[in-house]
Amino acid sequence: MLNVNRLKRTFNHDTAGFQDINLSVKEGEIIGILGTSGCGKSTLLRVLSGLDKQYEGTISIENGSNNQIGMMFQEPRLLPWLSVKKNISFGLEKEKRNTDKYKTYLDLVGLTDFENHYPKDLSGGMAQRTAIARALITEPEILLLDEPFSALDAFTKMQLQDLLLSIWQKKKTTMILVTHDIDEALYLCDRIFILKGQPGEVYSEVSVEKQKPRTRGDAYLSKQKAHILNLLNVEKKAAGEQK
Amino acid sequence: MISETHKWKVAQRASPQKLSSSKGIFQLGRGILIGSILPIILLVGWEIAARMGLLAAHLLPAPTIILEKIISMYQDGSLFGHISITLTRVFLGFAIGTVAAVVIGAIVGYAKTAERLLDPLFQAIRSIPSLAWVPLFILWMGIGEPSKISLIAVGVFFPVYLNIVAGIQGVDRKLIEVGRIYQLTPYQLTKRIILPAALPSFITGMRSGLGLGWMFVVAAELMGASEGLGYLLVVGQNTYSPDTVIASILLFAILGKITDAVLKWIERRSLKWQDSITNQG
Repeated sequence: MLNVNRLKRTFNHDTAGFQDINLSVKEGEIIGILGTSGCGKSTLLRVLSGLDKQYEGTISIENGSNNQIGMMFQEPRLLPWLSVKKNISFGLEKEKRNTDKYKTYLDLVGLTDFENHYPKDLSGGMAQRTAIARALITEPEILLLDEPFSALDAFTKMQLQDLLLSIWQKKKTTMILVTHDIDEALYLCDRIFILKGQPGEVYSEVSVEKQKPRTRGDAYLSKQKAHILNLLNVEKKAAGEQK
Repeated sequence: MISETHKWKVAQRASPQKLSSSKGIFQLGRGILIGSILPIILLVGWEIAARMGLLAAHLLPAPTIILEKIISMYQDGSLFGHISITLTRVFLGFAIGTVAAVVIGAIVGYAKTAERLLDPLFQAIRSIPSLAWVPLFILWMGIGEPSKISLIAVGVFFPVYLNIVAGIQGVDRKLIEVGRIYQLTPYQLTKRIILPAALPSFITGMRSGLGLGWMFVVAAELMGASEGLGYLLVVGQNTYSPDTVIASILLFAILGKITDAVLKWIERRSLKWQDSITNQG
């Protein structure tokens, strides 16, 4: 449903950003974008989300309605002057904003009793849950996640990964997850693209053929992790030689 | 004034909980009590010293004399007239200055071109000590109300303008991106993200603008008025009656404090979402 063709966005005279990215994403898939820092992962999401419009190449989204893209950032980015429920409803049309549509999503992310709290009163995990609900309420075709759990502690991180997975099981939202956490990518994603180089290019694609939910630390995942680590460790020759 | 801030700090420290709880009110009361000890001692000392003749009555009359002066002005009806004319001037000047600052500040803060065009000019005008405008305004508009209100408006304008520009320019790019993800139009972006985010510094600007407004009303009324608290100062000086002067200073202090408290109340109400020390609880 999402096709990306020869996408390129670079900075500083082609020394940062990414180039020559070709992807096609099927409906309901969770795609991981994995790479070391500086390889253009986040830039890729910014381009896909429409925040960065100075790119070359094509992005096409099938059966695209108006609010087709949802985005979650590394930080919750809640509006501090709005209560949890108003933050969740933020992306809705004006008429729908005052309905109780938010309740479904409030319950979905497990914040039932916190609708009137302000962001300052939330923990990091709760704020990120609110952000998940805000991203989902507009029912986007594709949810883009930019290292959404990287600022959280290990336990909260696992809880939220499970939450995301349970939401995916209910809604089958297509997701693109940028991360530098190999375990996270293996736990959640169907396919993982490894980006390398500066500017970054797709160095390799790894499929994770295992039914979700998966068990953390499972033998198959460990094997894949070793494989990915190996891919990431291949030094310089990688970036130049690909294609 | 000093004891006021002190009082407030004591109350804050004593009650991190919301002040609406009964315990909070009790502690706030205790804070006021502690803060009042020193002023009361000073007042009583002053009264005693004046009565014993240690202070020259023609320079510093006793507090009771000043109070009597205020009461007599109240009884002959002139007090209300002076207060209301001064308040009206401050209010009108404040309103005009604030509205102008919001409109121009919003344009300058939002549009880079407007900033390059207008900001250097305003910065240059700002560096003119505002009292230097007095003679010019009198030449232009005469000695009546327009020149007084303009002077106050000029005084109010700059702090509000500077704060609103800084507030708008300081809005977190990350929050603006959230709006862009939801494809908000520039108008929606301004209304739903930029203005609420700039509100704290706007209110700060209004509070310092109001302070300047009070300063300028004194200047405006000193320069020639037939009514108002500033006029009372002149009358007191010319008739050698320090009680009138001190009474009018006292009234300025009280009115300034009350209007600032109103803004502070608005600030508290509209900024209760802020993560600050005063909002713990």
